[in-house]
Amino acid sequence: MSGDGEWTSGDLLTQALSGDRAAFAALVRAHQRTVFSLALRMLADRHAAEDLAQEVFLQLYRNLSALSSAAHLAFWLRKVTMHRAIDRLRRTPRYRSAAPEEAEAAASESPESDPMLERRLRALVRELPPAARAVVLLRYQEDLDPAEIARTLRMPLNTVKSHLKRSLAQLRERMSETAEALT
Amino acid sequence: MSEDVEKEQLERRLRSALAAVGPGERLVPGVMARIAAEPALGKRPPRAGAVAGWLAFGLAASVILAVLMAHEWQVRRLEQGREARRQLIEALRVTDEKLNLAYRVVNGGERAAPAGNSGV
Repeated sequence: MSGDGEWTSGDLLTQALSGDRAAFAALVRAHQRTVFSLALRMLADRHAAEDLAQEVFLQLYRNLSALSSAAHLAFWLRKVTMHRAIDRLRRTPRYRSAAPEEAEAAASESPESDPMLERRLRALVRELPPAARAVVLLRYQEDLDPAEIARTLRMPLNTVKSHLKRSLAQLRERMSETAEALT
Repeated sequence: MSEDVEKEQLERRLRSALAAVGPGERLVPGVMARIAAEPALGKRPPRAGAVAGWLAFGLAASVILAVLMAHEWQVRRLEQGREARRQLIEALRVTDEKLNLAYRVVNGGERAAPAGNSGV
């Protein structure tokens, strides 16, 4: 347990490993935003994202004994979520063109942010190819550095860097076009 | 605006636009319901590999059992043959004894008759 009386992911993992289902439920609650958000922005479909998140946590339950620490758990969840999402996109291309903006209604839009601009940015991210989208999400949603992204996606580091560079250039260009169209 | 400033601004906007969102209340109960429907950890049904292993083991056990049964059947047949041979030899021995006895009786009578006649 951490100093302020809160259970950490490590504590919860230890408890869950001993068969404590309440601890496992707490573990799911602690990581559901990450898993669901990654799934939602990859699949662009709220129901598919919830279903995928459930499958990821079910797989976590079955593989709990293979995880050694909270950091390993977070890495494992991101890796499995992204690989499952990319697999689904390969098998079910219809997810690619879906418009999930209503699913993002609960997104935390800070008071100083521009909701319209953010919606446009999310739409542009959805238009990226799956691998590039996965890289962008892990970089800007999860704040991972390129080396961590490369490990998570089992991708060469240079490929990650080139995806990031190309995606940012593409997004900047499309955003400029949007700005020009508005003025 | 310089390219670096533009890139920085875009990255800041991306971080804000891609902030994590919550899945709603159904996810955790959904996961726990699916876990409850799962067999307990360690008591899961055997995987295909394990099933194939058990099938191979069963097949090998059946073959060994069949070989042992065939061997046992053959041994019993041999013993039955030996017993029949022993009984046949015994029957021949008894027959031989009876024939010998009959021969002696017949031969003894024939010898006795000339001896009786010679005294007349």
